[in-house]
Amino acid sequence: MPKSIWNGTVTFGMVNVPIKLYSATESKTVQFHEVHAKDGAKIEHKRICPKEDREVPYKEIVKGYETSQGRYVVLDKDEIKAAAGDRGKVINLSDFVDAAEIDPVFYEKTYYAGSRGDKDVFELLYQALRKTRRAGIGRFSFHDREYLVVLRAGDEVLVLHTLRFHDEVVSGEDLEIKRARKPSEKEIDMAGRLVDSLAEKFDPQAYEDTYRDAVLDLIERKAKGEEIDLAAEEEPAHGDDLAAALEASLSGSRS
Amino acid sequence: VARALWSGSLSFGLVNVPVQLVSASRDLDYHFHQLHEKDKVPIEQRRVCSKENEEVAWEEVAHSHELDGKQVVVTDEELASVQPRKTRTIDVEAFVDLDEVDPIYFDHPYFLIPAGDSEGTLGAYRLLVETMADQGRVALGRFVLRTKESLVAVRSREGALALTTMLFHDEVRPTNDIEGGGKKPSKKQIDTAVAIIEGLSTGWDPGRYQDCYRERLKRVIDAKSKRKTIEVPKPEKEPKPVPDLMDALERTLEQLRDGGESDAEGRETNSGRRGSRSGGASRSGGKTKSRS
Repeated sequence: MPKSIWNGTVTFGMVNVPIKLYSATESKTVQFHEVHAKDGAKIEHKRICPKEDREVPYKEIVKGYETSQGRYVVLDKDEIKAAAGDRGKVINLSDFVDAAEIDPVFYEKTYYAGSRGDKDVFELLYQALRKTRRAGIGRFSFHDREYLVVLRAGDEVLVLHTLRFHDEVVSGEDLEIKRARKPSEKEIDMAGRLVDSLAEKFDPQAYEDTYRDAVLDLIERKAKGEEIDLAAEEEPAHGDDLAAALEASLSGSRS
Repeated sequence: VARALWSGSLSFGLVNVPVQLVSASRDLDYHFHQLHEKDKVPIEQRRVCSKENEEVAWEEVAHSHELDGKQVVVTDEELASVQPRKTRTIDVEAFVDLDEVDPIYFDHPYFLIPAGDSEGTLGAYRLLVETMADQGRVALGRFVLRTKESLVAVRSREGALALTTMLFHDEVRPTNDIEGGGKKPSKKQIDTAVAIIEGLSTGWDPGRYQDCYRERLKRVIDAKSKRKTIEVPKPEKEPKPVPDLMDALERTLEQLRDGGESDAEGRETNSGRRGSRSGGASRSGGKTKSRS
C-alpha cells in the first residue's frame, strides 16, 4: 500500500468527498553526492555565522525577509503559517473547466487522489467528472503553502495537478525573438510532409531513459578501474540552405 | 533576456537549428534568508570536507555515486561522454497530438530560442514554429540536461518554440494500490452532480486565479516590519461527510439556480478571494462566465 501524503476533503457545493493524496511520480535519475576530489571524503554543508565564524545549530536559526539591503524582517513559524490560510484540510472545487484548454506550461506536480472512508461519494464525483469531461479548480494547502490545483478523472483514480499562477508563466512575446523572412510555400509544404511522415500515436512506453542505464554502466566501469574514453561527438552542420535540407530529409524518410 | 540553461541543436530530419534553452516560468515567491537568531546575521552555507574538517572550494568538489559500499567519482566530462549526441542535440523522433499526452508527464516548461541571428537559423526556427502551429502537433525527442535525460515535447506557442520536459513512463507510479470508488451511483445522483458541474463550468482563464498565498505573505511581512501583531487564523475544521447525499446534491443545485452563478458557494472571483463559506455570495468583481 503506498503511503498517503495528505488527508482532507474535496467539496463541491454542499457535497463532501473525503480523500487521501499520494505522489504520482518518482524521479529515477541516478543520484550523486558531493565529495572532496582529493580524498573522496563526503562534503558536509555547514551553517556558519560569519560574524562569530562558528557553526550554528538549526534551533538558533530564524527566517528573515530582506526588505532592503542588509535589513531583515524576522518571521516566526506561526507567522509564516498565517499566510498559508485556514483551509489546510479542504479543497473546494469552485469552478469546472475543460482540462484540454489548460496549456501544458501551467502543470506543476501531480498527485493521485484515492477514497477515504465514504467510497460511494468518491465514485459519484469520479463518474460525474468523467461524464462531463470537466476538471475542478480549487486551492490546496500543503506544508504551509497554498497551491492552485485542478482535479480530474484519470483512468482509475482522481488525479490532482498543482498549477502555476498566470504571472509565473513567461509568454512567448517576452522573448523578443528576431523574425526571419516568411518561409516559402515550398518550404512549408515540405516541412508539413516531414511532420506527417513522423506522426504517431503517443505511446509513453516507446521512450526509455537510455542515458540512466548508460550512466550506471559508466559507474560500474569506473569502479572496475577502466579508462573512460572521452571521444566527443562532432557538431551537427548548420547549413543555410533550408529547402535542400528539407528535401534531403524527405527523400531519406521515404526510403 | 533570460539566461540560457543549455545550448545545442534541435534536429528535425536533416535540418539543424542552433537553439538555447530558457525557462518559461518565473519565480515570484518571497524568499527567506536563514539568520542567526542572536545577531540577525545571514547564515553562510559552507562546504566542509568531512575528513579534514576544512572548507572546500567548488573547484575541488567531485560527484560520486555509491556502488556496493564503494564511492565511485565521476566527472562532468565523463557524464557528457556517455551519450555525447544527446547532451548537445534534441533529435525529433516523432510528432504526436498534444491532446493524447496525459498532463501527468509534464515536468518543467522552457522555451527554445534561436542561437545567433543568421538567416539560416532564424528561417529554420520560424518554419518549425509555423509548421507546428498549423498542425496542433508536438515534436517528441530526448536530450540530456545537466545529468538527467528527459523526454521532451517541443511545440509552437506564442510565436516561439516551447519545450516541456516530460517524465519517462517508469517515473509515473501505478495506481492499482490506491483505494478507488464504491458502488455505481444512481442515475439521479449522477444527473444532479453533472448539473452542478455544468452550472459551475467556465472557460479556462488563468488570469482569474491570483496567488493568495503570495499576497498574504506580503501582508504578513509588511505588518511585521511595522511591528504589528500577526493573527494566526485557526484552521478550519474538516467538513464531515454529508448524512444524505441526494439531499446535499439537490440543495446545491437549487442554490446554484436560485442564486445565479455568482452565488455559488465559494466561487473564485477576480480579486482572487473566495466567497464566504456560509453560502453567501461574493459578488464583487465577479466576471461573467460562459456556460457551456
